[in-house]
Amino acid sequence: MIAVALRNLRHRPGGFIATFLSAFLGAVLLMAFASLIDTASGVDAASNESLITTAGVGGGWCLVIVAFAVTSTLTLAVRRREEQIALLRRVGATGQQLRRMIVGEAVAVALIASAAAVPVGFVLGRLLVSLMKDTGQVAAAVDAAFGPIALGVGFGVTLLGSLVAGIATARRTAAPVGTKRARPLLRRIGAGLFLLTGANCAVLTATVMDGKGIDAMQTAGQAGIWASIGLALLAPELLRLVTAVLGPAVRLFGAAGELALRPQPSAVMPVLLFTGIATGTVYMQGIEDRASSGEVQAAYARDIQTLNYVVVGMIALFVAIMLVNMLIAATTHRRREFAQQRLAGATRGQVIAMVALEGALVTVTGVLGGAVASLFTVLPFGSARAGQVWPDASPLAFAVVAAIAVALTGSALVQTTRRALRGPATAAVRA
Amino acid sequence: MTDVVRVEELYKTYDGGVTALDGVTAGFAAGSFTAVMGPSGSGKSTLLQCAAGLDRPTGGRVFLDGHELTATKDTAMTKFRRGRVGFVFQDYNLLPSLTVLQNVVLPLRLAGRRADLAAARAALAQLDLADRTDELPERLSGGQRQRAAVARALVTRPAVIFADEPTGALDLGSAREVLTLLREVVHQHGRTVVMVTHDPVAAAYADSVLFLADGRLAGSLSAPTADAVAERLAHLGDRARAAA
Ligand SMILES: Nc1ncnc2c1ncn2[C@@H]1O[C@H](COP(=O)(O)OP(=O)(O)OP(=O)(O)O)[C@@H](O)[C@H]1O
Ligand SMILES: [Mg+2]
Repeated sequence: MIAVALRNLRHRPGGFIATFLSAFLGAVLLMAFASLIDTASGVDAASNESLITTAGVGGGWCLVIVAFAVTSTLTLAVRRREEQIALLRRVGATGQQLRRMIVGEAVAVALIASAAAVPVGFVLGRLLVSLMKDTGQVAAAVDAAFGPIALGVGFGVTLLGSLVAGIATARRTAAPVGTKRARPLLRRIGAGLFLLTGANCAVLTATVMDGKGIDAMQTAGQAGIWASIGLALLAPELLRLVTAVLGPAVRLFGAAGELALRPQPSAVMPVLLFTGIATGTVYMQGIEDRASSGEVQAAYARDIQTLNYVVVGMIALFVAIMLVNMLIAATTHRRREFAQQRLAGATRGQVIAMVALEGALVTVTGVLGGAVASLFTVLPFGSARAGQVWPDASPLAFAVVAAIAVALTGSALVQTTRRALRGPATAAVRA
Repeated sequence: MTDVVRVEELYKTYDGGVTALDGVTAGFAAGSFTAVMGPSGSGKSTLLQCAAGLDRPTGGRVFLDGHELTATKDTAMTKFRRGRVGFVFQDYNLLPSLTVLQNVVLPLRLAGRRADLAAARAALAQLDLADRTDELPERLSGGQRQRAAVARALVTRPAVIFADEPTGALDLGSAREVLTLLREVVHQHGRTVVMVTHDPVAAAYADSVLFLADGRLAGSLSAPTADAVAERLAHLGDRARAAA
């Protein structure tokens, strides 16, 4: 079965691009942050502490996001090939063999992705160190290093994540037909735990961290991330809710609207994560900036500001790429469905309208969910840092974040749908 | 009788360079039931798809209900087709996420017409699908799916119904039901049916048979019997083998 796995990789590389990209980006970020620990050995105490803290905070965030991203793209990539898997099963492949095939593919992709990530992670690590030198956090004499820890963490986490994700996906996909059941309960319990953790961090921020100044950022930032993940896990429920509320409006678009009323929840997750984390961090930094204006700034406050923006920028970039990946994969997968709709008499315009309406439902759900999640960061931090729960900040930043989410989702969807609609439907339906 | 569908000098060459249609001229009269037969790869599906406006011929003209289909643009062609043409596929092509009833009324909804759900239900009841209207297609047998697909093809009251091996995936009993249904559509409701099939027994349900070989017309037969059709097919096969 490993042979089949490698053959699959060679013959249909397109199917693995999404998995590869998210594993690659994850490995790059992990290597870059882990290389700070390599750099930290044998430097002065202050530089050492800054480097280790940055690696811990940035790397920790990336770890969570990477695990999440790799799992979800891998699940998606395997689900796209349900037909192939069913076919293999029919010609006599056992569940064990299929599991080995899926896990083998996942590990092979992770290995290639990690190897490709080494040079990029190396450069990014250097960039981080020089950034920290510019802000004075790290002594100018320190030389950036890229050693065993960067490689170990980069390869190790990516491989381990892919392995675990592969096993989990394989279990579900390779199970005999009929026993395949989505497990909403487990997902919902997971969501509950993440939300509780987020709430816990939020409460800690508002109570224990009150008056601790900029240090409250640590717990406040985490609160938003945990809450974003918790809400992202509830994507199917949230999407159903939004669809029910907006259904009447969507129906006004006729048949395209009716067809759009069963949107897939998979794309909600990246939109929600992106909106939640970006909004939370930007407003948190805004509160900090206003609270500290006039104060004598601690030396490291500026570094944290830089770091915040770097981290949020990288996470945003990562999630954005994940979103586009996911939309492309999901839409390409629907080529046959689109072809069937066209054979039933839908024009290309109607199919695109349907996809756009689905995209609107998904984006609204993700942006609203993200806005709620960001409150886990913003409200307690405002209370702790500025003694004011609701920040008197302009909604402009949120509008920008939402607009980016809309633009990303919209352009990825329309582009891929256009491509999936090329050529006559009679050929696409057979593919 | 006037022709509902007319193809003139139809040519179709696929991207790979295969010439699937090599100058086919034919007319299908209103209220007729025609079977199209020929060896595998002779261009039957291609002919049907070009005539129905599902695909574009490389050369030649297609007239449907008095309009030249080949002269219109893609979207206009779709809009024209969905009002006047029904198509039944060998593998049904029902949308898996929609119920049987939703599938049946989909062409109407897409055309922005009001879907008469009661009428659609009645039509499905006539096809013995009364108690399956709210099921998803995956829960239906092949014969039931194909009957649902025929109901969908009929719902817009099209001038012509094309069927590409509609009984290809069905057992004898289900095949007979679908063929009887198609014949009723012609003889009781006055519609036109063009059907591709490999089965001489199925072809015998039609009023006439058109033979195709290597993308060209290779004769016809009216008031066909299964035996006569089988004999002609055997000759076609011989000739095709001799030519190769
Ligand atoms: N999408 C396509 N791309 C390239 N070649 C095609 C395509 N569809 C059909 N062909 C070729 O065109 C020729 C005619 O195909 P067509 O499907 O019309 O035959 P058919 O008579 O319907 O055969 P069958 O009885 O097996 O269904 C064949 O040689 C086939 O290989
Ligand atoms: Mg055919």
